[in-house]
Amino acid sequence: MIQLYNVFKSYQGNPALTDISFIVRRGGFVFVAGPSGAGKSTLLKILFRWESYDRGQVLVNGINVGKLKPNKLHLLRRHIGVVFQDYKLLAGKTIFENVAFAQEIVGTSKKAIRFQTWEALKNVGLSHKKDAYPLQLSGGEQQRVAIARALVNSPEILLADEPTGNLDPEISFEILKLFEQANRKGMTVIFATHNQDILHRGDHPTVSLKRGKVVDSRVLS
Amino acid sequence: MGLFLFIFINLNSLLSAWDQRVQLVVYLNDGISADDRKRLDQLISRKIEVVSFEFISRKQAWAKFESSFSKESDLLEKLDFNPLPASYNLKIRSSTDRLAEIRQLSDILVSQAGVESVEYGEKWIGRFETFMIFMKVFLMALASLISLGAVLIISNTIKLSVFSRKDEIELMLLIGATPGSIKAPYLLEGMFQGLLGALVSISLVKLVQVYLKYQFQGSFETLIRGMEFQFLSQTYIVTIFITSIFIGLMGSYISLQQFLNSYYKK
Ligand SMILES: Nc1ncnc2c1ncn2[C@@H]1O[C@H](COP(=O)(O)OP(=O)(O)OP(=O)(O)O)[C@@H](O)[C@H]1O
Ligand SMILES: [Mg+2]
Repeated sequence: MIQLYNVFKSYQGNPALTDISFIVRRGGFVFVAGPSGAGKSTLLKILFRWESYDRGQVLVNGINVGKLKPNKLHLLRRHIGVVFQDYKLLAGKTIFENVAFAQEIVGTSKKAIRFQTWEALKNVGLSHKKDAYPLQLSGGEQQRVAIARALVNSPEILLADEPTGNLDPEISFEILKLFEQANRKGMTVIFATHNQDILHRGDHPTVSLKRGKVVDSRVLS
Repeated sequence: MGLFLFIFINLNSLLSAWDQRVQLVVYLNDGISADDRKRLDQLISRKIEVVSFEFISRKQAWAKFESSFSKESDLLEKLDFNPLPASYNLKIRSSTDRLAEIRQLSDILVSQAGVESVEYGEKWIGRFETFMIFMKVFLMALASLISLGAVLIISNTIKLSVFSRKDEIELMLLIGATPGSIKAPYLLEGMFQGLLGALVSISLVKLVQVYLKYQFQGSFETLIRGMEFQFLSQTYIVTIFITSIFIGLMGSYISLQQFLNSYYKK
């Protein structure tokens, strides 16, 4: 469960988020919508404590995010898989190694890593490219590697920051389906996008941001 | 760093060589009785301050004197009697208030029957003690300075190697690696560098020592006796290794902590 109460955040005095409150139930699927610069990425970064916030309360799976000490951050982050807006793939590692790396970090056994990496790549339809390097892939393919990596540790919560970026509509919908599939298995998903087609296609509660403020929220219950 | 270590070690061993040469000379009356000598012998051997002692008879004293002035033998030949007294040479253990100990000992000895006088170069020892304290402080300061320098050098090296793998570390943080698993490889690297530094320094010291020994054995021997024998004791080597590894650990810890803290936004 994710709870935000009256959260404020500013960068060097410039407000990025103003008085944000909403709740996402365990197993929920929520869109965070809004134009560029609205604060979508900032909101997601606060949830895994990559950014701090100035005021308010943030609880993720019962963890008070604002009170978390630097040496305890991994306890929060292991609950959360993130698809970063800029992918954050390691250029020096192959696709397979990139996905395997996320599992090595959390201490998965070597045998399990081989199997799960293979499954995760198959899931996003990239098992045939496992030995390629990120820069040898198209944007959409890189995006899907990032998704495979975010899902491979089976996190309870998935945060996806513009995972359809500048992809063409067809691939975008496929990616949306991937997340809905993970959600059906019980994963809580927060999906940030400014893509209207996606928002209409997926019938999910939406938090709409504009210049850091919630302007419309269909998230409740 | 190796050079400093070399200077440090040799100064230290030179000082301890000098240290061992502090001695007290008890001159005896020419006509001392055998009983008095026996008593004196016992008295001296009972004193714990005395590390070792040696009796020099009048004949031995003369022989020693003669050999060191053999060139002026013309003059010596004119002397047909031996003016030198017999004596005891006492080596005194080193301690923090050695000067006081020596004074006390000398007071006791001078009042014994058969003792003519006691000499111990009071002024010289006093000056020597202050010099020793000064040198020790100087060496400590030098050692701390070198250690600080080494910490800085190693922390910089680690900083470079951390920055070269910035993306990977960032990702480890994001995905939820434990702080320990992120730091461990770099701490090990720092310790390894410390170890390497110690190894290089000690080999260098050994090398120079061997070189000196073979090149200048004759001429140097008298000048820096004590230095020549003393390479590095085992405890010394172990201490150097442990200190160096610790220095490496500190260096890498500092730069790691700085780097990781930059990711924790307040
Ligand atoms: N690290 C930062 N330092 C200073 N200002 C920042 C920083 N990150 C974001 N901002 C500012 O905060 C505001 C919100 O940014 P954010 O990245 O959250 O927007 P976004 O909704 O994700 O936009 P986009 O759709 O383009 O990704 C913007 O005005 C941005 O300039
Ligand atoms: Mg963004």
